[in-house]
Amino acid sequence: MLSGVCKAFGEVHAVDNLSVKVPVGNIYGFLGPNGAGKTTTIRMIMSIIRPDSGEIEIFGDRSVEQAKTRIGYMPEERGLYRKMTVRKVLSYFGAIKGLTAAELAGRVPWWLERVDLADWSDKKVEELSRGMHQKLQFAVTAVNAPELLILDEPFAGLDPLNTDLLKAIILEMRNEGKTVIFSTHVMHEAEKLCDSILLINKGKVILDDKLAQIRSRQRSHAVCVELEGDTSFIRKLSIVTKVESQDNRLEITLAKDADPQLLLRALVERVRVQTFEVKVPSLHEIFVNLVGKSDAEDS
Amino acid sequence: MQKILKVAQREYIETVKTKTFILMLLMLPVMIVVIIFFGRRLAGSKAAPRPPLKIAVTDLSNELSAQIKTSFDEHNTSHPKRQILLQELQAHETSDAVEKQGKTKLRQGQLDAYVLLDEDILEGPGKIHLYTYKPKAVNLDMLGTVENLFREVVINWRYQQQELDRQLFDKLRNVPIETVEVGSADDEERIQSEGQRIARMVVPFFFIYLLCLGVLSMGQQMLSSIIEEKSSRVIEVLLSALSPLQLMAGKILGLVGIGLTVVCLWGAAAYGTARWQGLNVDVAPAMLPYFTIYYILAFLLFSSFTVGIGSICNTIKETQSLMMPVTLLCIVPILAWQNIIQQPDGTLARVLSFVPPMTPMVMILRLSAGPEIWIVEIVASIVLLAASVLATIWIAAKVFRTGVLMYGKRPGVREVLRWLRQS
Repeated sequence: MLSGVCKAFGEVHAVDNLSVKVPVGNIYGFLGPNGAGKTTTIRMIMSIIRPDSGEIEIFGDRSVEQAKTRIGYMPEERGLYRKMTVRKVLSYFGAIKGLTAAELAGRVPWWLERVDLADWSDKKVEELSRGMHQKLQFAVTAVNAPELLILDEPFAGLDPLNTDLLKAIILEMRNEGKTVIFSTHVMHEAEKLCDSILLINKGKVILDDKLAQIRSRQRSHAVCVELEGDTSFIRKLSIVTKVESQDNRLEITLAKDADPQLLLRALVERVRVQTFEVKVPSLHEIFVNLVGKSDAEDS
Repeated sequence: MQKILKVAQREYIETVKTKTFILMLLMLPVMIVVIIFFGRRLAGSKAAPRPPLKIAVTDLSNELSAQIKTSFDEHNTSHPKRQILLQELQAHETSDAVEKQGKTKLRQGQLDAYVLLDEDILEGPGKIHLYTYKPKAVNLDMLGTVENLFREVVINWRYQQQELDRQLFDKLRNVPIETVEVGSADDEERIQSEGQRIARMVVPFFFIYLLCLGVLSMGQQMLSSIIEEKSSRVIEVLLSALSPLQLMAGKILGLVGIGLTVVCLWGAAAYGTARWQGLNVDVAPAMLPYFTIYYILAFLLFSSFTVGIGSICNTIKETQSLMMPVTLLCIVPILAWQNIIQQPDGTLARVLSFVPPMTPMVMILRLSAGPEIWIVEIVASIVLLAASVLATIWIAAKVFRTGVLMYGKRPGVREVLRWLRQS
């Protein structure tokens, strides 16, 4: 979808030769530290700003203007007309996204109901709380039943209840075969939702793959165990590099390429093993690890 | 196109609904009515009693005291609410001394006016001197009466000296004039008062004044609408559904609608009042299509100015300095109004007709001023105006596209020029 896209603001290369293909029908996490170029990239996809070089294709077409009615975009900076009523705002944005009056009559109440704002439909936007504002913004984004949903930090400022509501809607839309791109720097959100991940830093791609594959590739060498008996021998095993203990719970770091199965076998011979868990690295760790590495390479 | 209309429709409805707009819309007609209504009331209150005017008089000719006294007595009897208290200051010693005394009393506030008649007032080149000290505005018309009374006294004395019959002279000098305007039908005739003739002069002025007010109020609405969208960050959501050009076109269209609404309502209100007041305002029906074209083009032109200005500013305050030149463009034709109306074919009028932002106003003035204007000139001015509207929209679109997403510092001229060069 994106190929060789560059955008510079003065001296700063916000996006540097970025080439990405977003898989259809997936939830695509767009991750990166603050200032990595996420919002800039998204704005270029929406042709709100123009890339200095490179090309962007949406639905196999260069013209984003044509595709705009098939996209729902929720910008990082939320904004709605404060003086209009909730219903009118939603109808207006639906209308400029190309919905007909008949379609609006059905979808506007449906969406207000879906995001729990039906009781507020005749109130002015300025009377809404932040969370409600955000939910309305999401309804505005999705009212045209877009095939591609682009969400910039969709959960910022939402309480857990509303976050779950939005997540449920997003998953629902994915299951209907729609593509969702969402940017965030909160890793556990991405971890729970995303099928694929794009990690960028300083305008460059660091990682672009399916989440499951990323996990298996980034296998960690840590094992968590709960044991009964004398555990002092573990430190002396050749495959172990580090042991941290907390009561009877141990976190064991293995040497590179060591098979956790070898450790298990060694343990069972000497002590009672209550739990044995090969730790899957969290996205958070991967993120810190990779971004830290790329920063180190740069300097 | 559908989207542009939607934007225009929202822009129009949301603006028309605001309280400030409704207030502004009602203000002018209400003011006209109030002025007419209270103007009459106040005029009626001329009959209310006023404190008497105190004056002193020194007659150095020593001939007129009796006549002066009679004349003022007559005035006081016929105007019980406009009393003039007259006292005489006798010239006991020198005339200089008494003059000084009179002026002192004036300064002390004992007198509202002091009148000194020269010794040779009756037959020589002498004068009536009327002295005042910090005259009050309310007394100005009374002072006029005082002047007249003295002048009449002197004139009457002169007639008597020559043994002439003043009444006969007045009769001989009186020739009444009636101005009648003939209508197209035979029995259609209207007697015109002076006021109506002035009203006729004012009609062309009213048309451009209306245009100017329409342009400025519309500009204000445009600016506040863009600034609101920028500051509430709606703009990015809008641009995810619309192209900047569509958004801008919608805005311009909506605002032109606003401007035309203002003009129509105010025009109708003014026409209604004029009829109600018995003034016959004639606008040649042939002119109306031209006026409409000029109005619409003017609104298009000025709304694209303001859309560009609004897009590079972040607060209403920032827009003010940039709106100054736009306001000035409106004011120049208003200042040159009389000149243009009296010489619709003069150099000034012709030149200003081809300075696009002023074209509509100047042409409306010239057309309504009367004489036939060469049709080629009219068409040329419209074509030029339309071309400049297109050019302005083209420039505004470029500025709008970039400016509308800029927050923070207002870009300088050089930066805006750079945007224009980018395709």
